[in-house]
Amino acid sequence: MNAPEKVLEEFEQIDFLRDRHVRFFQRTLQVLPERYASLETTRLTVMFFAVSGLDVLDALDVIDRNNMIEWIYSLQVLPTEDQSNLSRCGFRGSSHIGIPYSVKGPGVLHPYDSGHVAMTYTGLTSLLILGDDLSRVNKQACLAGLKALQLEDGSFCAVPEGSENDIRFIYCAACICYMLDDWSGMDIQKAIEYIRGSMSYDNGFGQGAGLESHGGWTFCAIASLCLMGRLEEALSQRELDRIRRWCIMRQQSGFHGRPNKPVDTCYSFWVGATLELLDVFQYTNYEKNRNYILSTQDRLVGGFAKWPDSHPDPLHAYLGLCGLSLIGEPNLRKVHPALNITQRAFQHLQQLQQTWRDNAGTCT
Amino acid sequence: MSGLEETSNESSELKEDNDFDVEVEGHVEVDYASDPFRLYMFYRDRKEWADLEPVPQDDGPNPVVKIAYSEKFSDVYDYFRALLKKDERSDRAFALTAEAIELNAANYTVWHYRRVLLQALQKDLREEMRYITDIIEEQPKNYQVWHHRRMVVEWLNDPSEELEFIADILSQDAKNYHAWQHRQWVIQEYKLWDNELEFVEKLLEEDVRNNSVWNQRHFVISHTTGYSSPAILDREVQYCLNQIRKAPHNESAWNYLKGILQDRGMSSHPGLLEQVLELKETHCSPYLLAFLVDCYEDALENNNQKETLNRALEVCEYLAQEKDTIRKEYWLFLQRSLESRFGPSAASGEPLADGTEPPAGQQELS
Repeated sequence: MNAPEKVLEEFEQIDFLRDRHVRFFQRTLQVLPERYASLETTRLTVMFFAVSGLDVLDALDVIDRNNMIEWIYSLQVLPTEDQSNLSRCGFRGSSHIGIPYSVKGPGVLHPYDSGHVAMTYTGLTSLLILGDDLSRVNKQACLAGLKALQLEDGSFCAVPEGSENDIRFIYCAACICYMLDDWSGMDIQKAIEYIRGSMSYDNGFGQGAGLESHGGWTFCAIASLCLMGRLEEALSQRELDRIRRWCIMRQQSGFHGRPNKPVDTCYSFWVGATLELLDVFQYTNYEKNRNYILSTQDRLVGGFAKWPDSHPDPLHAYLGLCGLSLIGEPNLRKVHPALNITQRAFQHLQQLQQTWRDNAGTCT
Repeated sequence: MSGLEETSNESSELKEDNDFDVEVEGHVEVDYASDPFRLYMFYRDRKEWADLEPVPQDDGPNPVVKIAYSEKFSDVYDYFRALLKKDERSDRAFALTAEAIELNAANYTVWHYRRVLLQALQKDLREEMRYITDIIEEQPKNYQVWHHRRMVVEWLNDPSEELEFIADILSQDAKNYHAWQHRQWVIQEYKLWDNELEFVEKLLEEDVRNNSVWNQRHFVISHTTGYSSPAILDREVQYCLNQIRKAPHNESAWNYLKGILQDRGMSSHPGLLEQVLELKETHCSPYLLAFLVDCYEDALENNNQKETLNRALEVCEYLAQEKDTIRKEYWLFLQRSLESRFGPSAASGEPLADGTEPPAGQQELS
């Protein structure tokens, strides 16, 4: 029998500090110190982590949604008057190029201004989470910009100027098409081929063909196929069972991303969500997973880190919460495992899409 | 997404010990510690730059996730933005990109602009190789620096430094995903297969649990000799088993073994099952037992025998209750699944509660 003091200590160590996390995300949305400079071009994704994190915590009321929505729209790369930049449209990660603030078109012609596929994805999800109806999104321009990023082998680059290409950006592209309810922005068949080609001999997915299998890329592969509605068309039952095995072997306490690597909080979501999409998350050990995630909780400033006694950051704070949400932590909203937004935000999207379909039906 | 994955996690590896700052207002001056004699001159004060109007960042009235830059940082980037707007092609622009990179090596626009300048100004690409080598050594988990190196290697059409350079990066972090990715690209693009298996074996001797190296082994062999010849397959099987004898609790070795056999007749490889059953006594692990289950499953698919099924179910039970309890529910699920697929009740055709379909009963499968 545990002595009462010991029981109390255990409880204190594993309690979930909701209010700290709310404040962590609030601060993230305000001002970050200069040492976070490397996040400049991806500030929109950092906003997504914070805003979606607050949504999971059911705490969106603490922020000014309208102001944030305006800021996101200021990052949209809109078509210029002559529409010569359509293949560069989408959303920017931040104002780092120096385009003057504007929330409406026409777009400004600038030799180096273009969208980034991960920013278009997180821009759209952030708008949805904040309750926006996407009416100011130039959907055709976004899809044209997306189409320009797909390569012959089915993978995507991040920006039209050129970048590395891999499975991460297929996932971003799939999310964009899914949200806009329009798959003309990508060649699905080619994307499926690239995804299949990324499956490793050990049945996880790498970033591309021949590369080491990894929890993050496996999530991108499976979530993309689910969003496309092609999971069982692209992968046989035998392959799905093998993938399930690879994924479930990632649990050590929490989850790691590759065999023989240390566990890391974010994989509780990447691998956990993949297992959920494959219907076997129910067979994981919830208690050990929860204990690990909470061991990485920063009790002073809030948020979560990859490891215990490490600095928290917005990505791990958000994915740690999502990991807890997957196991049914009380008072956390449920997360859509493929789209990575709350079910509440997802329902808002579904309503919007129904409106679009109704309106399309009534067009003369 | 740049900057987000395990392979690029700058923000949680920051060296400062101070916690996440709560309030940071305004700018911070270039501090006396790093520039005690105030030798640094802002671009806005340099006569050679007086023709350019600096372009500030404009986040509008309600900026989100605003980063509080020092005066020095803002000054450099205000001038970067000015150059970008004009699309200026000059040496001063090229020099400034290096400063901008030093302040934020993750800014992909700066790297792209630098590449434009490298070509427009016909800069010395060998020197650029030296430059990018230094930067990658400092920041080996950044996507942009590796992409830049790849571009320069392509322009030079010269991979001769790559294998040695990557080996050096791997000597500091033997699992760096970017490094392995670049290595695979170089080897495949320039057909540098000859010594890679030797490199793999050396690294496996240093750490037999390095999963990236096992992956590389598969990469090399599948692109050279392949696994179809029985001699090669057997050599690889024996290699695995030897590594397992030395370090039994090694998922990577077992994954490799299963990987090369799973579509080449796991249960029909001569002598393998016997060797594994022998190892079970002295070198047991959850991976060995899982491999056994997979062997039995493979056997059942070709010849559904009650004895084989019972053995498989027993191993699942052993895993669930004793040897891999963290995955207890999964092993029990697998047990039910095997039972329904190959057990006597399979003929009824009713799916299980968890949705698995039993297609065949206990009989010879065609």
